[in-house]
Amino acid sequence: MIDQLLGSTTLPALEESLRFTEARHEVLAGNIANWSTPDYEVRDLSVTEFQQRLKEAIELQQSYQRPSIRGLSRSKRGDPLREVRQSLKTIRYHDGSNVGLEQQVTELVKNQLMHNTAITLLQNQFRMLQTAISGNISV
Amino acid sequence: MFASLDISTSGLVAQQTRLMTISSNLANISSLRNENGELEPYQAKYPIFTPDETQATPSGGVGVKVTAIETETIEPRYRYQPHHPMAIQSGKWKGYVAYPNINVMAEFVDALEATRAYEANLGVMELTKNMAQQTLQILV
Repeated sequence: MIDQLLGSTTLPALEESLRFTEARHEVLAGNIANWSTPDYEVRDLSVTEFQQRLKEAIELQQSYQRPSIRGLSRSKRGDPLREVRQSLKTIRYHDGSNVGLEQQVTELVKNQLMHNTAITLLQNQFRMLQTAISGNISV
Repeated sequence: MFASLDISTSGLVAQQTRLMTISSNLANISSLRNENGELEPYQAKYPIFTPDETQATPSGGVGVKVTAIETETIEPRYRYQPHHPMAIQSGKWKGYVAYPNINVMAEFVDALEATRAYEANLGVMELTKNMAQQTLQILV
């Protein structure tokens, strides 16, 4: 019963979002740590890929499948979540590394915003459940 | 979450090591003898950074480690000082004193970069702490 109660809300999706943002934070922290490592290639988890899988999973509501991070990273085309960004944003420097500090910090902040959004929504969700359980709107 | 802190710490340690080699290079700018007392001007030392794949997180985040401290092999800077007690007595450079050939400007720029990288890692640690704090707020 409690599974149905929690499963019918956005809690599982938010939980996965948190899991993803935390995993991505680790990867981005690694990029900053390797700022002065020669030949280091920027790593990232693809946000669009994650959101696409999450969307697909949500659409399979009946048999809800959690798009776990582990499953995501070992999926088709090698390792799409760890793909090195091929764009002008990552210019290769003379030491062979392509860690652009500004870019990385921006991604970190964006990731944190996504994390905080998910947390705020989670808190609201729990508060709403609390209200429904207590049956008292003034709480 | 705590893995991010470890990763940032590895960055801090690496940059700290780099700053240490830089201060060593600057402190020994006039060292004419090596640690055994032989006449050999000091050679600059540089740390080698590599991504630490052994400590990689499941999502692919990697820290950094100092795999080696390499010693430069560069021709010393010769100054003609025939009455100097450490002047070379014979050969092509007779009467010259071999001084360490350290590029002070490059060392200072390196020090600046190391400091900034250190600060960047501290910034990421601050973000990590904020994120963990926020996660705990779910319980409130």
